[in-house]
Amino acid sequence: MTASRDIARDGPAPVTARAVSARGLASWLNSSKGLGLVLLAPAMVLVVLFFLVPVVVTGLIAFTNMSTATGITGGAYQVSPSALRVLTDQHGMGALAERLGQPTYTVDEQGLATLEEMGIEPGIVAGLRERHLGETYSSRREFERAIRALPERPATRTVKRISAAFSRSLANERFASAGALIAAAEAVEPDLDAAEKQALVEATYTGWTWTSENFRRLATSRDTERVFFNTLFFVATTLVLFNTGYAMVLAIATHYIPERAAGIFRIIWFLPRISPVVIYVLLWKWLAWDTGFLSALLSNFGVRPRNWMLDSATNAWVFVILINGFVGASMGMVIFASAIKAIPQSLFHAAAVDGAYRWQQIRHIILPHLKWPILFVTCYQTLSLLTSIDQTLLSTDGGPGGATEIWSLWIYHTALNNYAGNLQYGYGAAMALVLVVIGITLSLLYLRLFNYNALIIKPRIEH
Amino acid sequence: MTGHLRSWPIVLALSVASAPLVLMYVYLFVDTVTNAPPGSFVPNEFTLEHWSFLWHTPRGRPSIWRVTLNSLLFATSTAALVVVISSMAGYVLSRLNVPARGFFLAGVMVLHAFPAITLIVAIFLVLQVVGLYNTLIGVILVKAAIDMPLGIWLMKGFYDTVPWEIEMAGIQDGASRFTVWRKLVLPQVKPGIFALALFAFLLGWGEFILPQVLAPGGDVQVLSVYLASLIADDNNFDMALFKSVGLFYMAPVLILFFFFQGHLMNIYGGGTKG
Repeated sequence: MTASRDIARDGPAPVTARAVSARGLASWLNSSKGLGLVLLAPAMVLVVLFFLVPVVVTGLIAFTNMSTATGITGGAYQVSPSALRVLTDQHGMGALAERLGQPTYTVDEQGLATLEEMGIEPGIVAGLRERHLGETYSSRREFERAIRALPERPATRTVKRISAAFSRSLANERFASAGALIAAAEAVEPDLDAAEKQALVEATYTGWTWTSENFRRLATSRDTERVFFNTLFFVATTLVLFNTGYAMVLAIATHYIPERAAGIFRIIWFLPRISPVVIYVLLWKWLAWDTGFLSALLSNFGVRPRNWMLDSATNAWVFVILINGFVGASMGMVIFASAIKAIPQSLFHAAAVDGAYRWQQIRHIILPHLKWPILFVTCYQTLSLLTSIDQTLLSTDGGPGGATEIWSLWIYHTALNNYAGNLQYGYGAAMALVLVVIGITLSLLYLRLFNYNALIIKPRIEH
Repeated sequence: MTGHLRSWPIVLALSVASAPLVLMYVYLFVDTVTNAPPGSFVPNEFTLEHWSFLWHTPRGRPSIWRVTLNSLLFATSTAALVVVISSMAGYVLSRLNVPARGFFLAGVMVLHAFPAITLIVAIFLVLQVVGLYNTLIGVILVKAAIDMPLGIWLMKGFYDTVPWEIEMAGIQDGASRFTVWRKLVLPQVKPGIFALALFAFLLGWGEFILPQVLAPGGDVQVLSVYLASLIADDNNFDMALFKSVGLFYMAPVLILFFFFQGHLMNIYGGGTKG
């Protein structure tokens, strides 16, 4: 602090002079505040685009029924068979649906113009205009009978062509807006009431709509319960056995062996972390495949070859936990090892003089020093295991039969990739929202726990 | 310190525990250049046939060189973005008197702990709407954004170790804050920048789920997605081929790790996720 005061007292002269002479942007950039905001800007842009916006979008989409079928950007109005079924079943407007589904024949100027373009004899067109303009027929036969009754008596083929020109059907027609849909519907069915229009618009809309159905479904689905307990089991087991437990064993064990050997073991246990995940999991597959190492080895003892990774739920879990745990162990190993290294050597010497066994040293010297590192690793790894997806996706893909489906993988299978092909973005976002909320809560909690104020050093140059 | 205690039982136990890992990685090498009789794992001939993917592109798949180039582009671009943005923002958080500095610092910590992968559904939809789905640029931006909080945090740590006297001297000589940062402070944290660049490159090189979801198309496929789709194809199961592609993919990682182990171990220990 003293240095900064010196600067503050003696230093400002040249700086102030510069600030006065330089104007506008330049001087603003020269201030700590101006330069700071400029240098922070790119980071802020990325944070807004890829953290804040996605959090908000996740929250919004969770309240929609958005899926591959509805599209993302909005929809159209289509009088599809399924829309008519909705009209019948959910709105009780079966009669309306039936009429909309059937083609009707209306003699109008538009149809007459089409006839002229088609090159139908002018006499027939004139006759139709004279006798039938404005009339509507609900069946093709009836209309064709009327055409045949014209004085010109068109040939059968011509009759068919004429009736086709006047056929007006909404079935499978797409409209860009609700207004266009209603206008077309009124042409067929002139006396629609407001309720019918409303129902028609709702039933034929192909885009997504707002709904809280996703959360109701999530709360009542049996899958939720299963996946929830799978996730809990996965996180707790991996965390206790490997990310802290085995990591501690590795750190302590390498502490008690010569430095050279310790280095080799640390590198070996680091391989899973530095290996690209696709290769790392491939190596496990090689170990577990039905033509893989384990099967070949055990066949010498009369064990039937099988795919050990997927043949039973228990085995699948063993592999999922091993695969994730071997990666997780290295972080704890490094952190615990450096914490052990920081313990004053004199403590160990004193213990050695007292004839303390190793486990007494571990119990009374090492473990007490590892309290904070253990807490830190536990916190960090809880979150990362909760949201880990790569290893499990690439190894069991949630199998066999969904036995190892964990929450993050469930999101992936619901919203991003499944065999059925209908990706349910809305439902997936609702699932993701659960993790987002947990993630934000835990990260804020850790911030409190590891008191970040200690890390802030006040700037020593004050302008 | 452990004078009267023998260490060989521990070495033995650790060796047994490490055996599966060692076995897996040794066979990653062995299987790519040898053949073994069915049902056995003792190789009986040397061969380079498993490496034919380098000069012969299987039908319906992009060329390995195209995919490698994509991976290289992806990893170097994300690393460059992360390094540039982090070295700017890290300096601010370490040294400059900006309003709400504590808030920014806390924000970086929270973002660092926050599992961004949970946002992937939303990011997927946003990229589709803005037209960056299935492009390298889109997935590069996303990956850089996700790695950035760690980068800022590390860079802040590196800047914290630079003596204040350097900056004070610069300012007394009349240099602007920008010049001081650019000309005096940045050279001091060069080793840190190098370590971060290396680390970000390796993160990008190994990344799987983001390109898999956001850029799966043949033109923009990266090595991880290519290899995963090769393995997922049930019709052509060839473990030796997978391993050869895998080794090809992993070679840069092993080389970089071999040479810069010390740098990397420090960063990995400093609180990455995974």
